[in-house]
Amino acid sequence: MSWKMWALKKSPWVFHVNTGACNNCDIEVLELLTPRFDVERFGIRLVGTPRHADALVVTGGVTRQAAPRLKEVYRQTPKPCVVFAIGACACSMGIFKEGYHMAGPVDKVIREEDPNAIIMYIPGCPPKPEAMILGVVKALSLL
Amino acid sequence: MSAATVGWYAFAFLVFPGFLFSLAGGLLASWVDRKVSARVQWRVGPPLGQPLFDVVKLLGKETIVPEGANRLVFLVAPLVGLAAATVVSTILWMANLFAVSFVGDLIVVVYLFILPPVSVMIGGFASGNPLAATGASREMKLILAYELPFLICLAVAIIRSDLSIHLVDIAARPVAGSVSGLLAFLVSLLCVQAKLGFTPFDVAEAETEIMGGVYIEYSGAPLAVFKLTQAMLLIALPVFMATVFLGGMHFSGWGILWAILKYLLVVVLVILIKNTNPRVRIDQAVGFFWKYMTPVGVLAAALALAGRAFGIPWL
Amino acid sequence: MADVLAGLRESLGGRILATESRSPRQTYVSVSCSDIPDAARCLFERLGGRLATVTGLDERDGIELLYHFCFDAERIVLTVKTKVAKPDPRISSITPFLPGAEWIEREIHDLLGVRFDGHPRPERLILADDWPEGVYPLRKDGRP
Repeated sequence: MSWKMWALKKSPWVFHVNTGACNNCDIEVLELLTPRFDVERFGIRLVGTPRHADALVVTGGVTRQAAPRLKEVYRQTPKPCVVFAIGACACSMGIFKEGYHMAGPVDKVIREEDPNAIIMYIPGCPPKPEAMILGVVKALSLL
Repeated sequence: MSAATVGWYAFAFLVFPGFLFSLAGGLLASWVDRKVSARVQWRVGPPLGQPLFDVVKLLGKETIVPEGANRLVFLVAPLVGLAAATVVSTILWMANLFAVSFVGDLIVVVYLFILPPVSVMIGGFASGNPLAATGASREMKLILAYELPFLICLAVAIIRSDLSIHLVDIAARPVAGSVSGLLAFLVSLLCVQAKLGFTPFDVAEAETEIMGGVYIEYSGAPLAVFKLTQAMLLIALPVFMATVFLGGMHFSGWGILWAILKYLLVVVLVILIKNTNPRVRIDQAVGFFWKYMTPVGVLAAALALAGRAFGIPWL
Repeated sequence: MADVLAGLRESLGGRILATESRSPRQTYVSVSCSDIPDAARCLFERLGGRLATVTGLDERDGIELLYHFCFDAERIVLTVKTKVAKPDPRISSITPFLPGAEWIEREIHDLLGVRFDGHPRPERLILADDWPEGVYPLRKDGRP
């Protein structure tokens, strides 16, 4: 495993993107980043711009309006980077599967931009912060 | 100049006590900062190597230069800050460890300390992003605000050391042991807080407001250089404060313990102020430094002059 | 409820087609679509009601619009409903005298395709920028 990936696993900085979520997953992600769950133990830090990010935390199924914007944010993130699809809607569109306004789940939209993207799924509606920590740690150990 | 001298200079600037030594100390200091902040917030905090992992990871990412940015200035600005931080750290450690000093090195140190914030500002302006320009203009106003009381407090230290601008001479006396010296120490502590870019004066890199401010377009290696500069300032500025105000750091015998304690005192004060205060607006920051800190500094200078004129040593 | 209904009858008279009381606090009044502005003006300006929202649904022979007015002091809801004929459903906008209806009328136009004549800003509100014109998702035959 290259030293870049090793370093990325030791210090993943996250940027949060909401592509049409109902905000439930966003609330749980924001709770995750509070001192109570202390993700700084893993080196995780919330950054304010995609240019500093290693991991994009994407919530919500991607709406038609948000799809080009999600691709733009992915382009702006320096590679190597990882995409975390948080919640049932991001993993598979969830209850909005038949919706007229959806462009697809997160992996379909990101793969249109970059077929080799690394995407990790943390299902739940919304996933508990403990589940998210477990998911992130497990996913990073698979890299 | 012989090859040995050149070699010795290169060693001093690049390895010890220059670049590598300050880097290691700076990364350790920034770990101390994050760990103490975590403990204050009742949580565990990052492991010891975390700042090093951050820097290594940033070096492994690609560097993206935005289209509208001035490519040369964008990429060179971080290096200017790093060079200034390296040189100033070398001068300070040489003065403390080996008593190597020259007339006017205090002035040189002050000038060099202005360069890292200015390089951040230039990098922000060269980014071609309106949010970066906002952050950079705030940084500019902040520099104007805190340099004034900072220099006045240094004037107090100069006055109390019999008008000497030799670092070694100033380091020989504990300036903070007098009334004017104590006032000057406290005022310059807050100026150092602003120079380091810590809350309550981190308006230039306000993550939640302007998405990273001056650093918004930086990624990869240039961002790593900025982080390294911040780490090195975290070791250079408290050492400077300890040298000028707390009577220098003498590394001989029991003096080693005293030296480390002085450094830790300044660092812990800075961290505690950082953790217990919210961020202020730029107009509040400028008002704070010009309306409150500057008069206190002028008062301290007046007391120092009075003490010198009337022969009162504790004034 | 009774005095609100009486006030409405005073304004509209025989133009009220039907009245239906689902519960003591909720009444539905049917009018024809050309009488909606008068009914809304009466309920809003004269009787002091508050437009809660406007809902719409596609009943194959026309689009039914329901204007829900709340009277908070009496704690009742009076709904004025009408059916706009397809194809090309059009109705007068109530935004000129009831500014709070501006966005809901834009949304109904986006999703059901009802044209509101006299609307100050008849622009797309909630559909995506690249959504095709003429496709109205909430119509029964409107899936793209």
